[in-house]
Amino acid sequence: MEIWLDTALILVVLLGLFMTGSNRLGAIIQIFGLQSVVLGIVPFLMYFSKIEIHIVFVSLVAIVLKGFLMPYFLFWAIRHVSIRREVSPLIGFGTTLFLSGLLIAGSFILSSRLVFPGPAISDFIIPASFSTIMMGFLLLISRAKAITQVVGYLVMENGIFLFALLLLEKTPLLVEMGILLDVFVGALVMGIVVNHISDQFEHTDTSHLTVLRD
Amino acid sequence: MLFVLIVVPFIMAGLVFILPNKRTGILLFIATALFHLSCVISFWKKTPQAQWQNYLSLDVLGLLILSIISALFVTVSFYLIAYLKKEEDRSARLFLICLLVFLSTMTLVTVSRHLGLLWIAVEATTFFSAILINFHRAPQGIEATWKFLLICSVGIALALLGTLFMAVAATNIKSLLLEELLSHASSLDVSWLKLSVIFLLVGYGTKMGLVPMHSWKPDTYGEAPGPVGALMSGALTSCAFLSILRVGQICHQAGQMAFFQSIMLLLGMLSLFVASIFILGQTDFKRMLGYSSIEHMGILALGIGFGGTGFYGSLYHMLNNAFAKGLMFLVAGNLYRQYKTSRAKDIKGVLRSYPWTGVLLLAGFLCVTGFPPFGTFFSELMILNAAIMGKHYWFAALFVLFLAVIFIGISKIILRMALGVPRDKSLDHPQHESIYLIIPPVILGLIVLILGIYMPACVHEALQTASAIFEGQ
Repeated sequence: MEIWLDTALILVVLLGLFMTGSNRLGAIIQIFGLQSVVLGIVPFLMYFSKIEIHIVFVSLVAIVLKGFLMPYFLFWAIRHVSIRREVSPLIGFGTTLFLSGLLIAGSFILSSRLVFPGPAISDFIIPASFSTIMMGFLLLISRAKAITQVVGYLVMENGIFLFALLLLEKTPLLVEMGILLDVFVGALVMGIVVNHISDQFEHTDTSHLTVLRD
Repeated sequence: MLFVLIVVPFIMAGLVFILPNKRTGILLFIATALFHLSCVISFWKKTPQAQWQNYLSLDVLGLLILSIISALFVTVSFYLIAYLKKEEDRSARLFLICLLVFLSTMTLVTVSRHLGLLWIAVEATTFFSAILINFHRAPQGIEATWKFLLICSVGIALALLGTLFMAVAATNIKSLLLEELLSHASSLDVSWLKLSVIFLLVGYGTKMGLVPMHSWKPDTYGEAPGPVGALMSGALTSCAFLSILRVGQICHQAGQMAFFQSIMLLLGMLSLFVASIFILGQTDFKRMLGYSSIEHMGILALGIGFGGTGFYGSLYHMLNNAFAKGLMFLVAGNLYRQYKTSRAKDIKGVLRSYPWTGVLLLAGFLCVTGFPPFGTFFSELMILNAAIMGKHYWFAALFVLFLAVIFIGISKIILRMALGVPRDKSLDHPQHESIYLIIPPVILGLIVLILGIYMPACVHEALQTASAIFEGQ
């Protein structure tokens, strides 16, 4: 099973890399959905020998919410504001990809220094989670379109979710559900604000939001 | 009882959604706020039982902050009678719904005893306050909302990571319940604990508005409607401070208090420094209040950082600051209603045109800058005393210097607004002011005054019990 788990984790990182290098919003959203689905399968591979109702429930909710509902909602948002492409990113696509590579390397170095107490499941989980968090953050700060920033935030949350899987047996179901729900509501509110931005300014370029400053 | 207190505002929000009338909405809101306050007063007499296997329970820290929230909501609820008069039905109801859910989530922050649940509650407050900021639907309002949402969401995401690191540190304890963590704190893994503390402080510090995670604050407070600003700068920042105090509690029990205090000192000093620079030359009244809020959050952090009497001073200052800021933002709401701007240049001679608002503006100025006999003076003095007792002479000197600079900056703006002759000649004689716009801020001002001249015995006792949590080893 270990080999499948590692494959899935590598896939998660590669999909993250793909998102930071892509300029089509539709593709970014689809890949985000795919990444979330793969992440939803990871707990089955991790706890293969001792699957409990709790684990199944968390995975299914994560897959449905993040893999399908959120991409659906984000697609609705880009249709509504009718944008397709990230035209002028604050950091170029090539540079972003290069930075992502550095971040992945950094995550591996960082996690090799941390000693995880408790049973080790796979050496890949912590570095994969850290690199996903950092790539999400990179996406968030390097893109101008509000929707891409929302996806960046969600990718960050995906990375945190991956880390949380290590602790799945210890966290109560209710708390897990609350966290997933919160992230979902967060994306919803952000999507609504994106619409307000496009209604007011007739674009969703957050690089133009510079009236407020000292 | 605790569960009821969380659920009732939620149900009321549903009722406001169903009932079509703005008037009934406001009445329901006032009733909910009064119910909330009466419950909280009863908690001062008798501590409510823990619920949900200890996930919800109220300790003295939670009680102090819950009281702040409740008192602010009651005063704001009466203020809204006049404030929402001109608004159309639909937007006023959306406003009330969000306020009610906001009340419910903040109550959850004060009573949750599980770090995961605490995170969920703090995160939920972000979204509902974001909707509230954008009430006027102005372009700048949307810009402020977007910055607030994005910066706070990322901050809070880091706090979630910190919470997970805490769970790793607590591998032997197998729980994130505060009771369990505190009683077995010595078995926490120190290196993961430190990592977790850093992430939690950055995360919840973003919500509190400590430098360098403060950049959303002036924008948001500059654009938020007066009553929302009052609740955010008074109640929401106190909730974020509570989350940080919970981290402090764990550090104290784990013997890592010095580590925690050194970070707080750094963040506090930075906040005071940045606030003092940006307050000088500020042209917008509400943005200035945002920087003033950063300053006071810095003072809270410093109080904790100095230790000793600083713990008491910090908690005492939290009470004073919440009500002083509430007063100031309600006054800002009044000014915005009358002048349709918060640019200090366009507002002149408030004392002549609107004598009540003008007097409140000056009183609020004295509260915020820490003038005797207001409570803020004594709490700031206590924190300064803690700095000197703890032999942090340099910090004490800088503390006084920054406060002096901030005093000059604020007085320049406010005195210019309050005094002088109004530009518009028709405003040169006293105008009518609604009683609902005057009484709530007067009450908040009186609370700060009372906290200064005569501290009620029960509050003193509560502050002492709360600060004893952090003292000693």
